Amino acid sequence: MNVTHEEHKIVKQSGKYRIVIADSATSITEANKNDVFVDASHCGLNVGHYAVQAGVKGMIGNDAGKGMEDAGVAGLKVLDEKGIPGAAVSAMTAEIGVGPTTYETGVISTVNKAAQKIGVKPGMTAKEAAEVMLQAAVKAGK
Amino acid sequence: MKEEQIVKKQEGKFRIIVTNTAGSYDENNKNDVVIDGSHFGVNSAKMAVDAAVKGRIGNDAGIGKNSAGIAGLNILEKVGIPGAAVSSMSAKIGVGMSTWDTGKVSTVNESARKIGVKVGMTTKEAANVMFQAALKKAK
Repeated sequence: MNVTHEEHKIVKQSGKYRIVIADSATSITEANKNDVFVDASHCGLNVGHYAVQAGVKGMIGNDAGKGMEDAGVAGLKVLDEKGIPGAAVSAMTAEIGVGPTTYETGVISTVNKAAQKIGVKPGMTAKEAAEVMLQAAVKAGK
Repeated sequence: MKEEQIVKKQEGKFRIIVTNTAGSYDENNKNDVVIDGSHFGVNSAKMAVDAAVKGRIGNDAGIGKNSAGIAGLNILEKVGIPGAAVSSMSAKIGVGMSTWDTGKVSTVNESARKIGVKVGMTTKEAANVMFQAALKKAK
């Protein structure tokens, strides 16, 4: 897969599992397969497919105000089809396009079923939600 | 990022192309007015600037915190590239063809305004204005 070049910031690591931050979901690769990927892209359909292709352990993006036909969070269903936890932060809580703001100030507005199952809830901070996803990945990997 | 780019119009070396993500832009797009389904934040605008496109139309992503969804319009403005964002209620973010088919412009930068792109235009109208401006400039 040809991807846009962007440095990923690792904010937490537990064994082979990590929480990483990026501005754009277009920078996801197979190297992220053990990661909870926190980015500042919308959670539209195409972004859901990028995350599924890389096989990430979880994903948190921006809901982009949800918009027409909830397209801003449509990718969460794509993740659900593969059992990957996914959540979106409200576009009013974090700056879309700026990854660290998703992690630092983002508040979850929307979760998919796989995220709900492991305990991710709307109203959580992105940090809390990412931690829940990381712990679930660690547990599943044991 | 490998993602399909659909050519909607071509005249000489200039084109209008449609794609899902700004992450697909490269130097092959330098003569293109590019239409995508990405938000118009800072990073996606840099991708368009790096490719030196002739104009760009993306999604305003509900504008959002600190107007981050359209913050990239200023990045384009700094290098004189016309830019416009469509309302996220008029087109599905992430779906380039939706920007093209149903998008309505909510926000423009100064370079776009100068050549006649206006709020309320359809994406097709705005893209055509950018396309004609690129042709005229090359003459």
